[in-house]
Amino acid sequence: MENTVKNITYDALVIGAGIAGGETALNLANTGYKVLLVDKELSVGGKMIMLSKVFPTLDCAACITTPKVSEISRHPNITIFTGSEVGKIRKLSDNEFVAQVTRQPRYVHVEDCTACQLCEKACPVNVRDQYQFGLIGRKAAFIPFSICSPKAAAIDIENCTLCGACEKACPTNCIDFTMEVETMELHVKTVVIATGFNLFNAEKMPRYGYGVYKNVITAQQMERELAPTRPFNTVLRPSDGKVPDKIAYVLCVGSRDASIGNPVCSQICCMYSIKQAQLLMGTLPMADVTIYYINIRSFGKGFEEFYEQAKGMGVNFVKGKIGRISEKENGNLILRYEDINEGKLQEAEHDMVILSTGVLPNTGIDKFFENQKLQLDPYDFVAQSDMLVSPSKTSIDGVFVAGTATGPMDIPDSILSAGAASSEAISYLIQQS
Amino acid sequence: MNKKKRIGVYICHCGGNISDYVDVEKVRQAVDGGDAEIVVMAKTTMFACSDANQREMVEDIKANNLDGVIVSSCSPKLHMLTFRNVTERADLNKFTYVHANIREQASWAHSDNKIGATEKAIHLVKAAIAKSRYADALETNKIKATKTVAVIGAGVAGMKAALSLAEKDTEVILIEKENHVGGRVAEWGSLFSSTETGKEIIDRLYAEIVRHKNITLMTNTEVFENKGSVGNIAIKVRTITEGTEKLTEYTVGSVLMATGYDHYTPKEGEYGYGSTPKVITLPEFKNMIDNQSGKLMHNGAEIKNIAYIYCVGSRQSEGENTYCSRNCCTSTIHAAVTAKQKFSGITNYHFTRGLRTYGKQEILYADSLRAGDIYLQFYEDGIPTVTNEGKKTLVKVNDVLTNNREIEVEADLVVLVTGMVPRANSTIGTLFKLPKGRDNFFNEVHMKLRPVETVIDGVTIAGACQGPKNITESVNSALSAATKSYSILSKGELETDPLVATIDPEKCTWCGACEAACPFDAILKIDNGKKIIAEINNSVCKGCGMCAPVCEPDAINLIACSSPEIMSMIDALV
Ligand SMILES: Cc1cc2nc3c(=O)[nH]c(=O)nc-3n(C[C@H](O)[C@H](O)[C@H](O)COP(=O)(O)OP(=O)(O)OC[C@H]3O[C@@H](n4cnc5c(N)ncnc54)[C@H](O)[C@@H]3O)c2cc1C
Ligand code: SF4
Ligand code: SF4
Repeated sequence: MENTVKNITYDALVIGAGIAGGETALNLANTGYKVLLVDKELSVGGKMIMLSKVFPTLDCAACITTPKVSEISRHPNITIFTGSEVGKIRKLSDNEFVAQVTRQPRYVHVEDCTACQLCEKACPVNVRDQYQFGLIGRKAAFIPFSICSPKAAAIDIENCTLCGACEKACPTNCIDFTMEVETMELHVKTVVIATGFNLFNAEKMPRYGYGVYKNVITAQQMERELAPTRPFNTVLRPSDGKVPDKIAYVLCVGSRDASIGNPVCSQICCMYSIKQAQLLMGTLPMADVTIYYINIRSFGKGFEEFYEQAKGMGVNFVKGKIGRISEKENGNLILRYEDINEGKLQEAEHDMVILSTGVLPNTGIDKFFENQKLQLDPYDFVAQSDMLVSPSKTSIDGVFVAGTATGPMDIPDSILSAGAASSEAISYLIQQS
Repeated sequence: MNKKKRIGVYICHCGGNISDYVDVEKVRQAVDGGDAEIVVMAKTTMFACSDANQREMVEDIKANNLDGVIVSSCSPKLHMLTFRNVTERADLNKFTYVHANIREQASWAHSDNKIGATEKAIHLVKAAIAKSRYADALETNKIKATKTVAVIGAGVAGMKAALSLAEKDTEVILIEKENHVGGRVAEWGSLFSSTETGKEIIDRLYAEIVRHKNITLMTNTEVFENKGSVGNIAIKVRTITEGTEKLTEYTVGSVLMATGYDHYTPKEGEYGYGSTPKVITLPEFKNMIDNQSGKLMHNGAEIKNIAYIYCVGSRQSEGENTYCSRNCCTSTIHAAVTAKQKFSGITNYHFTRGLRTYGKQEILYADSLRAGDIYLQFYEDGIPTVTNEGKKTLVKVNDVLTNNREIEVEADLVVLVTGMVPRANSTIGTLFKLPKGRDNFFNEVHMKLRPVETVIDGVTIAGACQGPKNITESVNSALSAATKSYSILSKGELETDPLVATIDPEKCTWCGACEAACPFDAILKIDNGKKIIAEINNSVCKGCGMCAPVCEPDAINLIACSSPEIMSMIDALV
């Protein structure tokens, strides 16, 4: 329940409302514990709610995420703060933490907003839509995305010109520019970190031209182009709105590469690329899709079969690392690579390139803790203090970790990790009481 | 039966999953105000399951005084419960809710024919409306649940699950068929990403288990009977010690299955296994390096060159195991690195099919490359050969990484990287009626979001019995399964579904056909004072309907699938 009342004690604080944090909150709430779920974004759902379909089942991501999100939002034992960040956490004693949580003003009273979108229509300001990863624009008064929760408008105050058009347009008078930052001190008995991951910023590899060549996009952007709630009604390349017919995937962008500071394999990008390739074959039956890879890591349940299925559908797999990409005048792209099977340098032309960027840690989590040290691993993920036997325990007793905050993983592994964190947190709560 | 008069219908776009092929607005118009005007409200919605729409539904039901609700959307497997709960939140009996599947049955099935898909969707929704008129309000039953969990298998997953449940004030019966705990991990010495050996980990867990008052550990024990259902499952176990057999009975609320995996055993002659003494499997190799010191010896000869052949018994497009075994790449590199550190003069040659050191395991691979391990690669159509020439054993491959050059390694030892396979003995799975996937591991209800629950209520699965996993992954799944089992039982009572079969004692002649058809053993033979008839055990019946069609005298009815409901649906469909 999104709540404005500040019940100041909770059994558990769950930081991050992606699939891992959401699952943890539900597990705890279903066993009778009061949970505070905090997310810095305007909606719960994390990265998963923005996906198209999921490997290897090809379930529609929205269809399987929204009911979870709805269950979380309605649960009487869960209080949600969106647009909120955890500042400092102090451990007073076993079973007693004080957390400072700061809620940014949304400038909209969520309870009164009907998401009628009239404010959106009235707002004259156009900016890049971060929830569509920049593929399209949005207004400064906006509803984050169609299946967001809470489903309510928000004002992007940084870009707002304070013209007041939205306020006038709103039929329920729920827009309120007098809202201020709220800082709360909350007492909790246990903390679960589920702050997820960041994706590698492809601009850091200029040789692939991301941010310069228009038709080089990231797989996260392609997720939106393929989603049922997609911004365009089909897959388009950005430079000229043409439907692409020769698409390339470049794997391991920002992963397995010590020279850019990340030697770790991201373990999801092979699979999400294979998934997207299959979806593209469905959407654009005439298109050629080629995946340039080093190794295909289809290791999970049903993954190898999914990889074979993609080959069967006609997806081309080329073993070779892309050296550099250059752009032609017509917006097409030339990929230079070493073809391992042929044993020589090759060039190939594609009209759209997708960079399968890797999973990086969400840094700064250790800074939350004031009087205790939260240990990180050598790659800056939250360290697992007893990795084999109690994978969700951290260096602080009573603080647990769930999902990709400990390292790259897919949705089922995030669910399992959340189940483990829930188990440890429940045991901790029972043992301490 | 109370006929409904005020029905509300929602037609879902499912983003575009439905509306790309089905004209949802046309469906809405076709049913709105239809069927003798009992449809008082019909709406389309982008995502019926979204939180915003669920809230709207509650408001609509109250504002329009609806007495029946239909959502036409995806498969009922996905969302029937979601919408039943919405109905309940609007103070309407949740069993008056009727679901129509226009995604799997219309839009996805007929994506090549939009007009036809739309027509079919209209029929399906009309059939749902017809059924809705007769859908009775039903009450769920509450039963007391036993706060005890049977954990089957005392490997690392079962041990961790048992401990975590015991810490939650839950009684645990930990059942192990062997005379010792620890499963496969107990076999291992040094492990990747741990300073402890496998044996030390198991000793640590075992010490905690024997200390815990809530855990009853039964070794040399197997379950041989299973009756009842979630909340109250009666199991009988057999313990055999020194030739004597002891039977014990327990009632548990939930069963957590953690029976692990078998090592793949190469077929006679597969890469020379069995015929060439120098060819061994990965588990055999791990034991060898753990147990030897000084020089690494095999059959009296010192070992220098080791060839590892990957994916043996895994990733076979033709064979029985199509899947990747997930952790053998990492285990092999770890063993190879360990061997190199422990014994002098070792050279490791890895014949891989493309390495899968996913995640942080990649570092181990990078380290081994730096330490001079040699990696070669092949595809399935060019697997390596193992041949003997005199005393020499040669491993040959056309190496993908060097432009298919033929490479030959004279190996002192050939290690076949064998993966994980499902337990050969699957009687326990059959006893609990656990479905298996195409890989023959136990199957979860939903691969993405419910990886430890099964279609059998109250039975959860953990560790490698669900599919290949390393220790961390097995423990994550064990703790998840423990969380689910605990959350079923923590309240001490459970709701049971009233959608069960019923017997008409007048018509029943006890022929036994229903008993034979029931997959859940829910049919009992009783004497009702007048004659022998069948009786349904409501807490076990799943309402699957297998019994109804085999009943010759038509004595079986299924609640919520009564004749008027089914007949009126058929009328609407044809
Ligand atoms: C392009 C792409 C495609 C994918 N496709 C698939 C697929 O098909 N199948 C599959 O299984 N997986 C897929 N994945 C992986 C999947 O997205 C992740 O496994 C999953 O999202 C991890 O969930 P999480 O909860 O750990 O992290 P996240 O989804 O990142 O959630 C973390 C949450 O924490 C919040 N947060 C972070 N820091 C703070 C803070 N300081 N205070 C408060 N809140 C904070 C964030 O806002 C976010 O909501 C894909 C990933 C990508 C990038
Ligand atoms: S999962 Fe695949 S694409 Fe991603 S880093 Fe690993 S090998 Fe590269
Ligand atoms: S983990 Fe490696 S060795 Fe094992 S089956 Fe998969 S690819 Fe083959």
